[in-house]
Amino acid sequence: MNEHKHTYQAMFLLDNQEVRQGFTAARDWVKSTLEKHGLDVKVLRLWGERPLTYKIRGRRRATYLLGWLEGSGESVNKVKREMYLLGPVFRCLFLQEDEIPAEELAFGVEDVDESALVIPEDEPEPEFEDFIEVEESEDGVRTTATKAADDASKAAAETKAAADTKDAGEAKAETAGEDKSGETVAATAGDAEEKKDDE
Amino acid sequence: MSKDRKFDFKDVETLQKYLSGHGLLLSAKRTGLSAREQRRLKRAVKYARFLALIPYTA
Repeated sequence: MNEHKHTYQAMFLLDNQEVRQGFTAARDWVKSTLEKHGLDVKVLRLWGERPLTYKIRGRRRATYLLGWLEGSGESVNKVKREMYLLGPVFRCLFLQEDEIPAEELAFGVEDVDESALVIPEDEPEPEFEDFIEVEESEDGVRTTATKAADDASKAAAETKAAADTKDAGEAKAETAGEDKSGETVAATAGDAEEKKDDE
Repeated sequence: MSKDRKFDFKDVETLQKYLSGHGLLLSAKRTGLSAREQRRLKRAVKYARFLALIPYTA
């Protein structure tokens, strides 16, 4: 089969749990996997350890490894297939490039002082106190979320009841005006206003 | 003649200048880039999103 050789830039996301056990071991696994499938590793270096902008299978942080390689597209596919099944790599990207930049070529397969490589722990899930806080009651366990919902419904019921009593007073005044003379209408209307003021 | 700009998916700070507050790529009308440059920017943003360097949405 005619295999064309290309230059690739590759980025690997390494699982921090594996990197904590040894960065060099994780990097060597990547290097050996690439070479096993016929890729020539020109550069393989630590690009950084940083937070992910979105969670990938529960991970919030990752160690990024940057590589420059030469080989065939077939080899790249084989490497991808293996990396997604085994090892510390949980995501990788291969991009075909024209050439390797001189400043990158200077890095080579870079060694890292593992004692200087500090990998922070993943931050725990943020707690939503309004929903997590639990209070005991006679009925059993209730969360504050349900309590807040109850308070809101009570407040709504109170405002509705107040509006109903107001409407009832107005309706009473109207019916009295229809039945009786103008003076009584004025009197009942006055009473209604006084009641409102009292309320 | 001006040289076409190239965008690197690793250059997160530059890419974020061309994204809206919600993480969406701005239109060519807003970025002021040529069609070719806008295509290169689009590709770089998509690679950076895949590697979780920038969010798909914010």
